Amino acid sequence: MNITERQQSYEAMLQRAVEQRLTSVNRRTLLRNGAILGGGALAFGTVGRAIAQGDSTPAASNAVEEAPFGGPVDVLNYALTLEHIESSFYRDGLAAIGAEGITGLGFQQGVFDYLTEIGAHEAAHVTTLTDVITQLGGTPVAEATYDFGYTDAAGFLAVALALEDTGVAAYGGAAQYLIESDDLLTAALTIHGVEARHASYLALLNAGNPFPEAFNAPLTPAEVLEIATPFIQQ
Amino acid sequence: MRSYDTLILNAVKEQRAGSPGAATARLAAAQTAFTSDIDVLNYALTLEHLEAAFYALGPNYQFGQDPFGNDIDAWLTAVGEHENAHVTTLTDVITQLGGEPVAAAQYDFGVTDAATFLATAATLENVGVAAYDGAGQFLTNPDLLTAAGSIVAVEARHAAYLNLLNGTIPFPAAFETPMTPDEVLAAAGGFIVSEG
Repeated sequence: MNITERQQSYEAMLQRAVEQRLTSVNRRTLLRNGAILGGGALAFGTVGRAIAQGDSTPAASNAVEEAPFGGPVDVLNYALTLEHIESSFYRDGLAAIGAEGITGLGFQQGVFDYLTEIGAHEAAHVTTLTDVITQLGGTPVAEATYDFGYTDAAGFLAVALALEDTGVAAYGGAAQYLIESDDLLTAALTIHGVEARHASYLALLNAGNPFPEAFNAPLTPAEVLEIATPFIQQ
Repeated sequence: MRSYDTLILNAVKEQRAGSPGAATARLAAAQTAFTSDIDVLNYALTLEHLEAAFYALGPNYQFGQDPFGNDIDAWLTAVGEHENAHVTTLTDVITQLGGEPVAAAQYDFGVTDAATFLATAATLENVGVAAYDGAGQFLTNPDLLTAAGSIVAVEARHAAYLNLLNGTIPFPAAFETPMTPDEVLAAAGGFIVSEG
């Protein structure tokens, strides 16, 4: 298929993934006894009751997927997988688009500078996660080859927002699996916050709402990989 | 444990008097570990009460448009609604867990105009993120951790926007810097002038 068709198919895929995410989150919330995860004040609000009644356990709340991670190294490699996607996206995309691509949309040079800074953050996340995984005796996942499907600067910004939003939700859904390690959990939180800041800014660049909800819904690893896998070529 | 709000208030009083005492010592002890998930949630609730009260002052000022042409007043209203939702939900969860949720205190934010409001808002949001990031490790229940994560992400989104409104970079570093309760006290405790 040509570039336009591929971009359209990726946009359709993104849209389907988002719709599926919303549907699956709602379905899980309905199916689960005592509805815990799923985002939103109502779901959070039932957490306390469920815990008090002894209904809240990781096993119960993740019945849909048993133990998605074998251990902390797996969680970090999951994060690293996403950080590679983001880092590669900004590095290659900004080089291809250039400042003129951004200013051509009507933005100031400073926007390009900020996007470059975001890319530097993602690169730092890759470096740190890679180092930590290695220190823990694990094998860090390598950068893959990606096709993000955008054909112009506007498309780049749209995909950037999707990646950041997905990243925030991914960290939000994965943090609980680091609960046994205070240091790794805290480190993950310090990355999670930055991704949320990125998402907020990218939303503004896309003329959207930087903070659409009072509670940022998490995504499970399965949901995240469903969104991210189409970008990975090999 | 006594309300975290009271602890902070008393520690502030001691420090202002130049004689750190029992409250300061207990706060210092608290920074090494919270005694329960309820304690952690009440710590969060203390800060959410502060933020909710702060944003209630927003309608007193007019803020104009942000660099992207958005109506700042409208966005700040949304932020305030989020903080109110955080207060409500944290209060409910703490109650369901059998704890006693801290009440709102009385505050003096020293805001005199729109500019000082925005500057203080940025401080509160950034401190809020750092507070959650420093306290998350003390939660023992994974579902509460996930729920707390769903809040701190929103505070970080707020912080990014408030930084932008103050002319500073929305994402100043590649990694957040967590704060201990002691550090949070130093940054935000001064706004609390009396307990609720």
